Amino acid sequence: MKKDILALFAVFLLLAVLVNGTRIQSVEEYYLLHLDDITPESETVTLSIRCDTALAARDDLDPALRDADVLPADGVILPPTQYVLRAGDSVFDILRRAVRSRRIQMEYQGADRSAFGSVYVQGIGYLYEFSCGPLSGWMYRVDGVFPQYGCSNYLLHDGQTVEWLYTCDLGRDVGCAWKVGKLN
Amino acid sequence: MNAFAAYHPTVLLTYFLSVLVVSMFALHPVLQAAALLGGLVFCALLQSRRRTAADLAFYLPLFLLIAVTNPLFSHNGVTPLFFLNGNPVTLEALLYGVQIALMLVGVLFWCKCYSKVMTTDKFLYLFGRVIPKLALVLSMALRFLPLFLRRAREVRRAQKTLGLLAAKSRVDRIRGEMRVFLAVISWSLEHAMALSSAMKARGYGLKGRTQFSLFRFTPGDGVLLGVSLALFGLTLAGMATGATRFAYYPRLTAPPASPLGLLALCAFAVLCALPAILEGKEWLTWSFCKSKI
Amino acid sequence: MELLQIENLTFRYPGAEADALRGITLTVRQGEFLVLCGESGCGKTTLLRLLKRELAPAGKRGGEIRYRGRSLEALDARTSAAQIGFVLQNPDEQIVTDKVWHELAFGLENLGLPTGVIRRRVGEMASYFGIQDWFRRETDALSGGQKQLLNLASVLVMQPKLLLLDEPTAQLDPIAASEFLQTLYKLNRELGLTILLVEHRLEEAFPLADRAVLLEAGRVLDCDAPRRLGRALQTREHTHPMCCALPSAMRIAHALGAVEQSPLTVREGRDFLEARFAASAQAQPQTQPEIPPEPDDAAPAIELKNVWFRYEKELPDVLRGVTMAVRRGEFYCILGANGTGKTTALQVVAGLRRPYRGAVRIDGKPLKAYGGGALYRGKLALLPQNPQTLFLQDTVRADLDELLALRGVEKEAREAQVKAVAARVGVEPLLDRHPFDLSGGELQKCALAKLLLSAPEILLLDEPTKGLDAFAKQKLTALLRGLCDDGVTLLAVTHDVEFAAENADRCGLFFDGELLSDDRPQAFFAQNHFYTTAANRMARGLWPDAVTCAQVVARCREAKP
Repeated sequence: MKKDILALFAVFLLLAVLVNGTRIQSVEEYYLLHLDDITPESETVTLSIRCDTALAARDDLDPALRDADVLPADGVILPPTQYVLRAGDSVFDILRRAVRSRRIQMEYQGADRSAFGSVYVQGIGYLYEFSCGPLSGWMYRVDGVFPQYGCSNYLLHDGQTVEWLYTCDLGRDVGCAWKVGKLN
Repeated sequence: MNAFAAYHPTVLLTYFLSVLVVSMFALHPVLQAAALLGGLVFCALLQSRRRTAADLAFYLPLFLLIAVTNPLFSHNGVTPLFFLNGNPVTLEALLYGVQIALMLVGVLFWCKCYSKVMTTDKFLYLFGRVIPKLALVLSMALRFLPLFLRRAREVRRAQKTLGLLAAKSRVDRIRGEMRVFLAVISWSLEHAMALSSAMKARGYGLKGRTQFSLFRFTPGDGVLLGVSLALFGLTLAGMATGATRFAYYPRLTAPPASPLGLLALCAFAVLCALPAILEGKEWLTWSFCKSKI
Repeated sequence: MELLQIENLTFRYPGAEADALRGITLTVRQGEFLVLCGESGCGKTTLLRLLKRELAPAGKRGGEIRYRGRSLEALDARTSAAQIGFVLQNPDEQIVTDKVWHELAFGLENLGLPTGVIRRRVGEMASYFGIQDWFRRETDALSGGQKQLLNLASVLVMQPKLLLLDEPTAQLDPIAASEFLQTLYKLNRELGLTILLVEHRLEEAFPLADRAVLLEAGRVLDCDAPRRLGRALQTREHTHPMCCALPSAMRIAHALGAVEQSPLTVREGRDFLEARFAASAQAQPQTQPEIPPEPDDAAPAIELKNVWFRYEKELPDVLRGVTMAVRRGEFYCILGANGTGKTTALQVVAGLRRPYRGAVRIDGKPLKAYGGGALYRGKLALLPQNPQTLFLQDTVRADLDELLALRGVEKEAREAQVKAVAARVGVEPLLDRHPFDLSGGELQKCALAKLLLSAPEILLLDEPTKGLDAFAKQKLTALLRGLCDDGVTLLAVTHDVEFAAENADRCGLFFDGELLSDDRPQAFFAQNHFYTTAANRMARGLWPDAVTCAQVVARCREAKP
């Protein structure tokens, strides 16, 4: 009986590993990413990541985050930076390349597992959804507009500006006009 | 061998509830470690050494499995160890897994102790305080069940020698079993009638029935109840004020050590060690008495 | 002082054509020990139940019952429940709760006593009865004797003035029964408790009682000291069915015409025999009883060779190398105390349990050769200890009919066969009754009828005389003898020494999972000093091989023509 429980548990664990895949990289390998050099011909986009709202609503912030002191004091996780746009790059691809090159922590849910067929960004720089109240999470804005769909489905064009903004109020505090909906 | 189990059921229930509440809701590793250690020692006191060794052989792998499961699913934390499919496997997540494992295994041990200490009659006694009728019904059911099963076996055997259950066809056999079952049911009704008149003969149904139990609330019970409630209160105070707060993400953080926090940790450690302490006290008194003879 | 006065009590069950009780008048003084006896159906249980208001059967009642000068109906419920205690026949039917201590406290809880008082009374009662060792046990784990003792204790804890007992020892083995009766005697002598006991073990109950009441067809036939009652019974009508229920000593003395003496106990009986026959018995030539030639049968009907059995792997052995053989047409009795493995041995023979070592052969063929129930079709049948378990239907007739239907007998043939077997066993009037409503003796006969439908060559009997009164026992004995004469092999497991001595062709003693010795009953019991019949214990000094009452009487007559 007890052996069965253990075996069941082990099988479950094994399955989880198999489903997730087993591409293991060391920390150095992961972060040592060669970014394309920006040449005059290359198409580029500008990316920035900010969490001003979380700093403003310090009282709502998860005490663990407050104590850990990991948020930048000025709210800028990534200042506006230009990145080379490869053909077919989505908002998520750019974000991913940026955080890897800057050693910024990021956790996401793959498109296969999130509910709306796109990658869902759960947390950037240790700041997670629901870390600052029940309506908090990450959103993105392209050229001042909040797109209504997932970040891995939004393909970018040359010269566009992408901003990742943390909201504590379902977008209202960062100027998103739409009433209800999913974040990022 | 069992100084703790001899206490009044109310005291025992209070004790178990306070330990379980803290160990299920507290996140502090010291609290969890105290709960697991206390539960383990208590369990070892209640059962044979061989049994405890067998338990360890089961719970240790379980502990490890639970611990390594968490980092597969949670990627928060400032200290990445390596990356799995582009997601970091962090030290913090691993430690958090250890914490969950501590809690789960600890709670399992405490539940094991609970089921060993809170026997049916203690449970019935506590239950009976709230609903006296139900307690009697349960006690009667516990009496009736073995009687019913014995009767069923007897009827089955008797019918087997008559050839009822020897039929080749499965349908006939099932029909035979069914008939045996029905016969035992009708015997049960007959038995219930006889029993109810026997109960009436002994005054069942008179007004003002009382509830008797072998358990007596002694001053010692009062002391233990007071002590465990006080320790529980201290721990709760520590938890409520945030003095025993502990966070794993994004990095391990705890508020600066405060007197209340330390007090709460110590209080809970003592609470978990109470059974062992009482057992030790008993043993010391015993060896002291023996040395005097 | 009169504790109980019964005046001209009549009772009729609803729908019955005749009165069950017809004008009973009886006075019970405080501190008396009364034994109520009579044939089954004479109304003794009805009378006893009418004395306990809570158990009184429904029906039309006339006359008056007064308890301590007040009408029984006028008693308040609390007094009635506490002061008149009642113990029933079946120990299992009175135990209410799962724990011994709770069972003891149950009555006091009902009376609404505070915990402190209950604690004291329960403790006192447990010490008096020596229950403290199993005080915290489950009631289900007790033996039958312990259960009945618990029932007695949990009635006495309510401190009754009057104790009514309805055949309390019928379901117990002789040792437990004797202990139980001795406890009653002690209660009566030491505490002055008034006791009314319905009992058919007169051998043991008569010497204890102050008075005995003989009921017949709802009337008090006689009410007197046991010795005088026995004497009156013998002188007045020699053929009264209760005569065979009297103690052995009394029966022997009466058979020898010494009505005036009426010895009650074994000691009195031995004094009586030695005073009269000591001289002439020595002069008597030692007659060697003629030993019937051992039939040299090739294959015995039942054969066990070195059979070992245990219920579970971890549990100790119940049978340890049992070796025995039962010849064809023989009546074999296995005797032995409780828990020695007798019943298990019988179940092994019946193929209900499989030994882990050794061989069981029926008619020379191993048990395995009888597959798919072939064993139970005309070869072997088992009368279980509780014959009620043989019946599944609402009437005896339906049950018998069903068994035949199962065997594929045509409808017309079925009716004829049921009729034939009922006539043979003598249960025609019982065919349309419900199996649960039958008395012990009636049930036993109906069970035999059901078993005989398959015309078995071997009949296994588990405690066939349990719960039967002397009269029913005689009838059963006659029936079994008849079967034996028809060539049926009988193997019985029994506690009943008298039954074995009178009927068996051979007896075997079971002890500790083994069959120790087996022999003809006369030789078997002559060897035993303690485990033997009352008649043998009386006559042992004169004629060691006289085992039954009839044998003792015959020797007496030879000695002094």
